Amino acid sequence: MKNPLNRVSFLIGVAFGFLIFAARLSDYEVIHNMLLLREPDVFLLMASAIGVAMPLLWILQRRRWQTPLGGELDLAHDKVKRKHVFGAILFGTGWAVTGTCPGPAIAMTVGGNVLGIFVMAGLTTGLFLRDAIAARSSVRAAIDQPAPIELDAGNVAFAGD
Amino acid sequence: MVQVLPERLPWFVAGPLIGLLSVALYAIANRHMGVSSSYKHVVTFVRDRSQAKQWRVWWFGGLVVGSLVAAFLRGGPSPTLGYGALGLVLPVVVLIPTLFVAGLLMGYGARWAGGCTSGHGITGTSARSPASFVAVGTFMATAVGVTLLLHALTGGLL
Repeated sequence: MKNPLNRVSFLIGVAFGFLIFAARLSDYEVIHNMLLLREPDVFLLMASAIGVAMPLLWILQRRRWQTPLGGELDLAHDKVKRKHVFGAILFGTGWAVTGTCPGPAIAMTVGGNVLGIFVMAGLTTGLFLRDAIAARSSVRAAIDQPAPIELDAGNVAFAGD
Repeated sequence: MVQVLPERLPWFVAGPLIGLLSVALYAIANRHMGVSSSYKHVVTFVRDRSQAKQWRVWWFGGLVVGSLVAAFLRGGPSPTLGYGALGLVLPVVVLIPTLFVAGLLMGYGARWAGGCTSGHGITGTSARSPASFVAVGTFMATAVGVTLLLHALTGGLL
């Protein structure tokens, strides 16, 4: 572990895994009770995490924070696309059935919930399956589509507009 | 075994700390804290080291070690073949394929949507990324809807 990035990720991972288990996010019942709207704790947990992180990241971004290991801070900023909705619907369905999600599934399995390994295996398969399908459809799109034609020449903004 | 950890760390302790972790990873390394893609990098690492993002593999290893430490502080991992209420409703031969397929949906969906409960749910929203708000709203609403549906269909067993 000579690489400082690896060391930092490992340590933050240790802390995150610890907190997931300590807060019982790795328990089927806890997530199930959350999704049954019986208990607000996990919603509050997520909201308080965001409530702490959002202003801090915003301040760092405004100050053009230079990260020690990765250059100037560059926060994720993705436009909404259909994939975010479709993907999230599948994700939410799996989350509801298993009562766990990618991080807690690790903690669940490590904590002795042996069957969690099948959730983890399914997760991994699903990730690779999505990549395989995305690669195939992008190859097909490249074959089917003729070279892009410039249609928006009339929309060119004039300098000074 | 001695139990050092409380039964359940309250949300107002765990939540802010998790928020700080996502800030720390961004502030130190300019990296986005999300779990799902690390599964892929672990498998890729086993196949061909040079193709994997090594920090994602270390991150995954950290999650394993951290939860193991917490498990020991609560009296050690306790192996079980149970799976909460779902394990009581489904016999193991049905439960295993159900968990695999539901896990597959989750992995496929997370990859398609570009993140999961950590990458979109905590870090993406904290970074104010528009796609994350949409993804979180969608998977929360879907998960609550599916859970309430399962609850109704099983006569309250789930």
